[in-house]
Amino acid sequence: MLSYLLLSGISTGAIYALVALGIVLVYKATGTINFAHGDQLMIAGFLAWTLHVGLGLPYLVAMAGAVAGGFVLGALAERIGFRAVLRGNLVNVVLATLGLAFVLKGVARLTWGGISDYLAFPPLVPPDPIIIGDIILLPQQLVVTAGALAVMGAFALFFRFTTMGKAMQATADNPKAARLVGIRVENIHMLAFAVGSAVAGAGAALMAPVTLLYPDIGFMLFIKGFAAAVLGGLTSLPGALLGGLAIGVVEALAGGYIDSSAIEVSAFVAIMATLILRPRGLLGGPPPRRA
Amino acid sequence: MPPAPRVAPPVNPHSAPAETEPMRRLSLLVSVAAAMLAAATLPARAQGAPGVTADSIRIGSFGPLTGPGYLYGRLVMNGVEAVFDRVNAQGGIHGRRLVLTREDDRCEPAAAIAATRKLIHQDQVFAIIGGGCSNAALAARGEIEQASVPTVIFAAVADGLTTPRAPTIVSTALTSGLEGVAQVAYAQQQGARRIAVVSMRDAWGRSRYTPLMEELKRRGITPVADEEVSPDANDATAQVLRLRQANADAVILLLYPKPGAVFLRDAAKFGYRPLVIGQSGIADPAAFEEQVGVPGATARFVTISQVRFTPESPEMAGWREAIQAKYPSDRLSVFNMFGIGSAQVLVEALRQAGPNPTREALMQALNGVTNLGTDTYGGPITCTPTDGRCNRTVVWIQKEPGGPIRIVGTTAVE
Repeated sequence: MLSYLLLSGISTGAIYALVALGIVLVYKATGTINFAHGDQLMIAGFLAWTLHVGLGLPYLVAMAGAVAGGFVLGALAERIGFRAVLRGNLVNVVLATLGLAFVLKGVARLTWGGISDYLAFPPLVPPDPIIIGDIILLPQQLVVTAGALAVMGAFALFFRFTTMGKAMQATADNPKAARLVGIRVENIHMLAFAVGSAVAGAGAALMAPVTLLYPDIGFMLFIKGFAAAVLGGLTSLPGALLGGLAIGVVEALAGGYIDSSAIEVSAFVAIMATLILRPRGLLGGPPPRRA
Repeated sequence: MPPAPRVAPPVNPHSAPAETEPMRRLSLLVSVAAAMLAAATLPARAQGAPGVTADSIRIGSFGPLTGPGYLYGRLVMNGVEAVFDRVNAQGGIHGRRLVLTREDDRCEPAAAIAATRKLIHQDQVFAIIGGGCSNAALAARGEIEQASVPTVIFAAVADGLTTPRAPTIVSTALTSGLEGVAQVAYAQQQGARRIAVVSMRDAWGRSRYTPLMEELKRRGITPVADEEVSPDANDATAQVLRLRQANADAVILLLYPKPGAVFLRDAAKFGYRPLVIGQSGIADPAAFEEQVGVPGATARFVTISQVRFTPESPEMAGWREAIQAKYPSDRLSVFNMFGIGSAQVLVEALRQAGPNPTREALMQALNGVTNLGTDTYGGPITCTPTDGRCNRTVVWIQKEPGGPIRIVGTTAVE
């Protein structure tokens, strides 16, 4: 039983980690939480569904479309909705992102809300379970887990080896100093929102066969992703992955060994306990300075 | 005695100057024009009853028109409208056309209250046929009761809509309590000895869970497992393992399609295939099979339908054509069929209410509906002044993997 629960916890945790990665990315660069992140993911998921199921395009094309769509959505959101408030009061930024979340949910309800209650997304891999000895796995869950690891690896490379990645890190460390050395901080912010949203697009295409698609899915995923980011440390990308996996595993173990009604609360109890002991999360550093 | 001198009324220096003759004429003309405009825009009330004119009866409907719940609103209303069109084509009800006014409640309680207020006070509807989602319809119940508007619930299943009895509300939808009774009866009929319950514990889930547990207790059955799955769950491994450990041979599933699909997917992962008994929240087994996405996982899944035919049945040919003619992008669905059955009950009651209908007469007619056959419901419809749960026939449906949807039985709940 333990091995089943651990594996199921890891595969569910990978979903949370994928969401958390985008949240952490934006927070690192801008010092703000994007409350619309879950709904950006939801829109990207519907976009992938439209391309793959609606138009019959290959899965990888649909995934690329979701990533590109997410990127554009994030960039537009920053340019139109957030730029004016990013340098002001933090409350205004939070309200702007919350407002965007509601707008996106409304758009999804009107556009895709009349097709089915939950849209099924065909799995990328054959759906039959893989049995290795005592271990039983669903291939799509493996894909999500591998996807989360791949996205995190890509980010590590991006921050380490690209000029843009280094500029983002510099901005996150000290926006004023970054501005003094010629980095256009506003553009970095836009890039952070765009890349965060693109990550959501990749995550949406990966997890849609597991989660199904519906207009209200974004908020639930955001809450779990945010919890994962807080647990791992809001400034740490590996922390996002660790936090996501930890929450998934805690939920699975609580459901298996305590009671299924303990699943929902167990993760938050674990977070509270962790934050009492480590207020910055498992791998978190000091909060970024806002521009 | 000389007549008393006529005294000019005192002039208020702050009042408007006295009107001149041309101005008086102008204001008279404006008043007449305004009255004519009002007469043209407001429905004439031939009989004094709200929503009834010399040539029409306005019926209101509320339910989700947008969002994922639209199945229980827009599609059901399309079925209602198809019936109204047929009635109108045959001359209407005592010469009056039926007109449907729709309001979107998005499955949200606050929106449902606003929608019913608008229908009752602004649109002045004669009666209501609606209620797609339980929580929203429950919230609207107070408004309906206060205004004493005859109302037929067409899809929402909460027992609280009809129990305790609201004098002006009847339901042609199966209620959650009746479905629970039928679920337990079906499990026993199929020879299940170790029954488990898997439920959501939100308001929707509770409205089913509580009467189901009461029914199990009444029959002396203790569930071998009682598990919870959240509405947004993406994994049910823990619950499946616990059920497997408990060796449950039948699972009563009180879940929305999404958590239901996750549960069946994870059960299939472990090769655990008990009899799974759903309810009308999962009313489309074809869509559900697609949502589960694992071949064969739904092979032992049966669920409740309110209607005795599938949309593809030959008996539904006429309604298939009617729906497709009016809504070219739609194909007849079970949700349309809920609306067809419900509207036929309302139409019959409107006929019985006579040529000069009042809300009281309509309500009396609705409460007197006895053994009324409809084109879609599983059994006859009977309402009484003491029981507004008019539909008591549960239809069991199943979809063999890759095959068509089949009716596998009915349960009449006394």
